[in-house]
Amino acid sequence: MALPFQEQAWQAFQDGKSGLVHAPTGTGKTYAVWIPPLMEWLGQQSPKPGKRAPNLTVLWVTPLRSLAQDTALALQKISSALDLPWTVEARTGDTSGSVKLRQRRHFPSCLVTTPESLSLLLSYAGTRNAFSSLTTVVVDEWHELLATKRGTMTELCLARLRNWIPNLRTWGLSATLGNLGTALSTLLGTKSQGILITANQKKKFVVETIIPKDMGKFPWSGHLGGKLVEQVARRIEKAKSTLVFTNVRSQTEYWFNALLEVRPQWQGQIGIHHGSIDKDVRLFVEERLRKGEIKAVVCTSSLDLGVDFAPVSQVLQIGGPKGVARLLQRAGRSGHQPGASSKIYCVPTQAMELVEYAAVRNSIQRMAIESRIPLQAPLDLLSQHLVTLALGEGFSKSHTLQEVRTAWSYKDLSEQDWQWTIDFITKGGKSLSAYGQFHKVVEQDGTYRVSSSNISRYHRISIGTITSDPSVLVTFRNGKKLGSVEQSFLGRVKPGQNFYFAGKLLELKRIANLTAIVSIAKSKKGILSIWSGGKAPLSSELAQAVREKFMEAGASNLDCKEMQAMKGILDLQRKHSALPKMDQLLIEKTTSKEGIHWFVFPFAGRLVHEGMAALVGYRLAKILPVTLTFSVNDYGFHICSNQDLGQEIMNWKKLLSPRDLDDELVGALNLSEMAKKQFREVARVAGLIFQGYPGAPKSSRQVQVSGNLLFDVFEKYDSGNLLLAQAKREVLERELELDRMKIKLEEIQGQELLLKQTRKFTPFAFPLWAESLRTTLSTESWGDRVRKMAQDLEASA
Amino acid sequence: MLPILWNQHEFFLCPEKALYWPDRKMVFLADTHFGKAASFWKMGIPVPGNSTEEDCSRMARLLCKLKAESLVFLGDFLHAKAARTDTIRDTILLWRKNFPRLQLHLVRGNHDLHAGDPWPELQIQCHPDPWGLESFDCRHIPASSAIHPYLAGHLHPSYRISGKGQKPIISPCFVVSPEKIILPAFGSFTGTLKVTKSSHEAIYVTNGAEVIRIP
Repeated sequence: MALPFQEQAWQAFQDGKSGLVHAPTGTGKTYAVWIPPLMEWLGQQSPKPGKRAPNLTVLWVTPLRSLAQDTALALQKISSALDLPWTVEARTGDTSGSVKLRQRRHFPSCLVTTPESLSLLLSYAGTRNAFSSLTTVVVDEWHELLATKRGTMTELCLARLRNWIPNLRTWGLSATLGNLGTALSTLLGTKSQGILITANQKKKFVVETIIPKDMGKFPWSGHLGGKLVEQVARRIEKAKSTLVFTNVRSQTEYWFNALLEVRPQWQGQIGIHHGSIDKDVRLFVEERLRKGEIKAVVCTSSLDLGVDFAPVSQVLQIGGPKGVARLLQRAGRSGHQPGASSKIYCVPTQAMELVEYAAVRNSIQRMAIESRIPLQAPLDLLSQHLVTLALGEGFSKSHTLQEVRTAWSYKDLSEQDWQWTIDFITKGGKSLSAYGQFHKVVEQDGTYRVSSSNISRYHRISIGTITSDPSVLVTFRNGKKLGSVEQSFLGRVKPGQNFYFAGKLLELKRIANLTAIVSIAKSKKGILSIWSGGKAPLSSELAQAVREKFMEAGASNLDCKEMQAMKGILDLQRKHSALPKMDQLLIEKTTSKEGIHWFVFPFAGRLVHEGMAALVGYRLAKILPVTLTFSVNDYGFHICSNQDLGQEIMNWKKLLSPRDLDDELVGALNLSEMAKKQFREVARVAGLIFQGYPGAPKSSRQVQVSGNLLFDVFEKYDSGNLLLAQAKREVLERELELDRMKIKLEEIQGQELLLKQTRKFTPFAFPLWAESLRTTLSTESWGDRVRKMAQDLEASA
Repeated sequence: MLPILWNQHEFFLCPEKALYWPDRKMVFLADTHFGKAASFWKMGIPVPGNSTEEDCSRMARLLCKLKAESLVFLGDFLHAKAARTDTIRDTILLWRKNFPRLQLHLVRGNHDLHAGDPWPELQIQCHPDPWGLESFDCRHIPASSAIHPYLAGHLHPSYRISGKGQKPIISPCFVVSPEKIILPAFGSFTGTLKVTKSSHEAIYVTNGAEVIRIP
């Protein structure tokens, strides 16, 4: 018996329409889009259905290559149950070369693949022919791809497929988002219109919090939070199987070890799962989870997605939820059967997170869910795509521009940017055209092609590796693999030092050829945080809900047990300072031995606060010479100076004015330094960095270069290069959330300043003060800075 | 320029990432990697600019300033076979013509073995690694146990210095100990390798304008 939304999808499909189905996980989305093409095929078979597998009919795009195999099996199971001769196979970076070759000679009826593998297929001349029987493309978990470069890559590939097959239907599957309309348009492109189908099936979400017994002793700051290990262990004991979600990898390592410490008998019964752990180990953990053989898995977002983990009976979230959609996704991992409710137990690592849980519950009730904004015409990806097309059947300029503009992200692509991209891949850009030695893509009789077989080979290799940073393989001396870690992170560990990885305390022996040799550590002391960053900021939607909670508390309205548990702390905050209303900006000023502290609470998320703190520091430095220390968190920022600057100078509305923001922000932040980091990704996508891979030909080493160096060279000789501009823009958008910052600054101008002089750090201020990561604003020269650092070294020696 | 005493000789550490030996009016440069950008172009990677041209004028300015009579390349003169283009040759030849009486030596490095010796018209005397010069050797690859003290390149060393609350600074550096001096890479389109300091070594960082000793 089909559900109403499934019927709606089937009808729309029959009418030749495309669309987007959004529904919570585990409500039967897959059936809604998989059954229609099967039924259509069946309807065309007369009088009896054929016994031979049909040619390639459905292309199924999935964001994670680890999901492709599972998805293929699940789809195959459905078609086999209907007794249809359809074949379903996966094709990803993990698929063996021989299978790939066989597939290219004869594709299965349905091919399950990733955006990268699809793009790679477009680089072969025979693909157009092989795809001619295609009727349907399904993009699974579209919300995961939407706001990413891989999503944009999917858009470009779909634009090409639609050009080849005008009647192609595109169907997306998505979790609920704040901007589903945009998600639909982005999927379908500018030329077609589709239908948005909502599963009216209300899934019940329950957010429950494990409340610390003694709130008086519960910490006000930090993020690892081991206080509740015993309660968590008891919670795990109550259910058959549990997923324990954390926010960052170091937290995963910490909790895995902490649980084993309180329950040593769980050795072998609980697992650890995050993106750095070896694929085979992860697959093993997933397999045991599926079979119900494992008690609990401590994991990061690496297990946010998954086809079918029905045996998971319970989900825990360690630390703040950070976003509404994220918590929903995680909660959805339990109660996977249609009709069942999803429950998530939240485990705070510090007091304020209790407020976030109360807030997220309100947001879920209101369905105030975050939006994901598609990228705007990234040129790195466009140049990659054009080279891909040049490798395949070649492309003509005017037709391809039209085609590219049908992709939503490129609908406003300007003539200049297009021409710049063409010049970049044919002549190497402005600065190289003079030499005439650069020929990547060559035009012949109006068709652009790649003629060098070396360039073809390198390009194909780099399509698959665009999103990964070079990483170091972690192995035991006998060669047993544990996983891989980003090079920069392991750089902090010295041989002989211990670190936690893959649930074990390891000693680093040596690093050579991108491999770190380790052994089980002898002593028990270790470095926990070999990973830094990666902490997502509190989303706007959730930040808003958190503010509301504080305002309610200010009016003594504590409507849930989380807020009631917070009563003592909130009373303290109100007594010494205030709980701000929605139209107030709370600022606290405290004097300590370290100097004068200013704590400002815009509630705009970590990234925006970083930008604001830098902006304030920059504007102050323009008025008078001053050395400042900063720290930030999701609620506010903190500036400390050893001199009292007085009320006159600390004119907060002026310091936080949106005027001249763009220019001053560039001056305030070392934007060039930040853009350098971002440029590495842009350069990799645009094919400027050839990363190499195990067993790469030796000649490839001679064209390896660091992103930093490349950035410097481009800045120097080709500063007008649009890829540089793109890197800078991406930094402003991603690392600083510039748009969000602008909105916040505008908002602040209309707010009432609530300035409080406090004698001690308040519950709001304390975590900011304790935040260890501090940045100093310095305007000294290279020589002065180096000499000062050298003096410090000498003094401490 | 920073004077140091090494093996009873006075040397100058130049911010141009070069070493100068005033007794012999001799300049040492390591890892020029000429034609590196051109090797990238061949693989379809559009690295902009002409680092070879710029590095040649940097060499010329340095030689004029020091009034040097000979120049020793400590390996990796050319980046790769793909760097053997007419443009690269002409650029370096033009520089050579400005210093007709300059004595040129090259200790072959790992890249030279692949790329081949420089064009004969440049008149560079090529030596296998190591090449004995008075009381010390000239090498490309640093030796772990050498009989004689030596000068070498190959590592492209850089040093990371950090202070309290400050962003760390990474700069190219010289690594100096009684048994060796390792030079930073001269080529402007070259990467670096972060080195750590052992107790018997001294590190001298440079940013192109000055040289500072790290204690």
